[in-house]
Amino acid sequence: MSTKLLGERIKRKEDPRLIQGRGHYVDDIKLDGMLHMAFVRSVYPHARIKKVDTAAAQALPGVVAVYTGHDIQGKLGLVPCAAGMEGLKIPDHPCLAIDKVCYIGEPIAAVVARDRYLARDAADLIEVDYDPLPAVTDPLKALAKGSNIIHEKFGDNVAFEAKLEAGDWKAVEADLPLKVIKQRFINQRLAPISMETRGVIASYSPGEDTLTVWSSTQIPHILKTQLALMSGVDEARSRVITPEVGGGFGSKLNVYGEEAMACFASMKLGKPVKWIEGRRENFLATIHGRDQVNDLEIYVQADGKVVGLKCVIVADLGAYHQLLTPAIPTLTALMILGCYNIKNVYVETKGVFTNKMATDAYRGAGRPEATYIIERAMDLVAHELNMDPAEVREKNFPSPKDFPLALPTGVTYDTANYQKTLKRVLKAAGYSKLRKEQERLRKKGKYLGIGLSTYVEICAMGPSSRMPAGGWEAGTVRVEVTGKVTVLSGASPHGQGEETTFAQIVAEELGISFDDVTVYHGDTFQIPMGIGTFGSRTTAVGGTAIYEAAQRIKKKMARIAAHKLGIKPGELKFSDGKLQTSDGQKSIGFGEVVAEAIFAKQLPPGVEPGLTEHCVFEPPNYTFPFGAHIAVTEVDAETGEVHLRDYFCVDDCGRILNPMLVDGQVHGGLAQGIGQALWEELVYDENGQLVTGTLMDYALPKAHQFPWFNTSNTETRTPVNPLGVKGVGEAGTIGSTPAVVNSVMDALRPFGVRHIDMPLKPEKIWNAMKGGVKAS
Amino acid sequence: MTLEGTYKIPAPRDLVYKQLLNPEVLSHALPGCEKLTPNPDGSFSAQLKIGIAMMKGTYQGRVEILDAVAPEHFRMLVEGKGSGGFMKGEGTLTLTEEGGDTLITYTGEAQVGGLIASVGQRMILGAAKQNVAQFFQEFAKQIAAK
Repeated sequence: MSTKLLGERIKRKEDPRLIQGRGHYVDDIKLDGMLHMAFVRSVYPHARIKKVDTAAAQALPGVVAVYTGHDIQGKLGLVPCAAGMEGLKIPDHPCLAIDKVCYIGEPIAAVVARDRYLARDAADLIEVDYDPLPAVTDPLKALAKGSNIIHEKFGDNVAFEAKLEAGDWKAVEADLPLKVIKQRFINQRLAPISMETRGVIASYSPGEDTLTVWSSTQIPHILKTQLALMSGVDEARSRVITPEVGGGFGSKLNVYGEEAMACFASMKLGKPVKWIEGRRENFLATIHGRDQVNDLEIYVQADGKVVGLKCVIVADLGAYHQLLTPAIPTLTALMILGCYNIKNVYVETKGVFTNKMATDAYRGAGRPEATYIIERAMDLVAHELNMDPAEVREKNFPSPKDFPLALPTGVTYDTANYQKTLKRVLKAAGYSKLRKEQERLRKKGKYLGIGLSTYVEICAMGPSSRMPAGGWEAGTVRVEVTGKVTVLSGASPHGQGEETTFAQIVAEELGISFDDVTVYHGDTFQIPMGIGTFGSRTTAVGGTAIYEAAQRIKKKMARIAAHKLGIKPGELKFSDGKLQTSDGQKSIGFGEVVAEAIFAKQLPPGVEPGLTEHCVFEPPNYTFPFGAHIAVTEVDAETGEVHLRDYFCVDDCGRILNPMLVDGQVHGGLAQGIGQALWEELVYDENGQLVTGTLMDYALPKAHQFPWFNTSNTETRTPVNPLGVKGVGEAGTIGSTPAVVNSVMDALRPFGVRHIDMPLKPEKIWNAMKGGVKAS
Repeated sequence: MTLEGTYKIPAPRDLVYKQLLNPEVLSHALPGCEKLTPNPDGSFSAQLKIGIAMMKGTYQGRVEILDAVAPEHFRMLVEGKGSGGFMKGEGTLTLTEEGGDTLITYTGEAQVGGLIASVGQRMILGAAKQNVAQFFQEFAKQIAAK
């Protein structure tokens, strides 16, 4: 019956059906009379559309409808942007381009046909007559005077500018000569690449005037609201269902034009319309991540104490805003001080339009960029002052006693012990031994690199005051007549395993079997409220809502049981399927109390029948997980190839509810973070064509490219939520990128190489070794 | 993408120049050329079947000859579009006499867009070079047959 569940390696409830191929993703859903949609996408990054000739497509037998921008103009809402900073320029973003395209892959026309292949063939028959305009793909060039302007009405390509300034810069300047270290870093553009691409089915019932949408999304409730607004169907008659989702990494934390087009077509045709994104479309038209140019200045004393940090962030937003596009670089500014007590900070952020796909949230969303900047900076400080990178970090850490710690950036870190994770990872890696080995190998002409990264991230998003559309999460616990428990969560997962962790929470709290708890999510008709899964918020915010709902159930059950037993409710403990007094003298079965509650024969006065409790948890603050990572690399002096030999990490995500799931999150995160450091890069050529448009061209890493990850944890609980959990979804991605780059730069020290921009391809390293490049 | 090189044709310059502008010869020599018809304005309309990587498709195009100075050189503009995207190129061909032979020196810039750019980019320069080589080989054969 009830054993200890929280903190245990409990196998995922989700896995049997997923491993056996018995789960249902959007593409597995087939409805009667369902039609299929395909898109014609722009082959020019910037052009006026002179004419769209759809005649041949429309004439093809089996084609039901063809829509262009003019068919939806004024009838279907624009793709929404939820970010709302001051002075933000939001260009009109129609679901199908009207008269002008601004990036490669922008949808121009939609074809609906009786099958998917026919729709694709018909789309190929549509002739678009373009008048090409010059394209700009480099954000720095887009900022320069005389650049062609993407959205003419704005007069330039600047979407927004923000400044963050704190401390006493006059004192810093007066205190010179401090050492000032300057470096430009490029956080290159990445593709999120979820295993399952996007997909949607919209089904409008004209009789009932209801719209049901199945979508591979991270945010069913937000999507429901937005699709209702865009399509004009009453929100109370709209429903979004999210079946299994095969990954998202932030890319499905969005409302896409294709989703609204499926609704539009279904409403016009009165039949279900399905669209499944192809992998090539996924590269072109699903949001991208990162893409920033960061100019850093760091002010440091001779003893390694950093007193000030200045950074200019130029963020390439792409041609249009998706849901959170402009908000992402502001998270970089917010977290740029990392885990260091730096009193003076100045960050200027510029969001720039270019003729590329929109950037938006990709695993880490703004924080990997920040961590990369500050962690590379710490190594540059160590390098310049000839100090050990671990020592420089330690010198700038706040003490564990300083928490909660208000940072000059405006955030308050909850709890941390940075010294502890650093010490643990140094020990795990055998740091001093590694340094000796490095010394020995250098003499033999072999180049070993030891790279450190100590990160902090901002998670559990977040307090509603800081979020565009609320930061709470909702949870419901319902005890059924048979004593089985149904849990409803608004935090719709896309592979995180909430059906397991949330069942662990409820089963342990109610003292019942893990198998007796079933968690549902991702259906806006079943789940009354919800926001979604992103920003490492699911367990900390969504899990807490469920935990609190379970507390309410317990309170009610205790009252009913006490009434029956003739004792005080406070005395009852829930375990082994029973409610019993702490002395064990009196007890009553869980099922018996449930029957009392539902059949309502002798309820205490004022107690309503039933056992359904709903909670909306509003977190008072973000949480700030942290950790320390070490990457050990070998660089081949002949070829410039990097071999990642070992990887060690100690992550602190607060209390751990299921170590197996925490490991899984860290492993996946590491793969993506290391991918950015060594291999991955989305490349647009100077004409604006995407040249890395397939998995043959975009270097997504495979399992054999990684060593075994040596993961471990410390557990510093947060007071922000009663579970004490902080979040772990993005930690691996955030901590690993700088650790690997620092490692490779450490290996290249004998060559006088100071910095090389990612990805660290053999060609770049080989050239740097040959040229002894001091700075890129 | 830049394409440049030389090719020697064992034939007199006047003949080579003339045949380079002969649609019948060209249509046989151009790899994948299914149709090449002269337009009243002096340009040609072309239908080409090209395969790069997995991107096989038919392209409708236009070839225009500019700045022609017989028998020395001419400039050529090529444009094509099809389901796989578009291509655009501009090149100059210069003919010089070498003994009784003709040396063709060509230099050009080409741009591709759409699916061919994102899918075939890795192969495109190789494929283009191969097509140019094929063209001259076939062209030399055609000349020899004259």
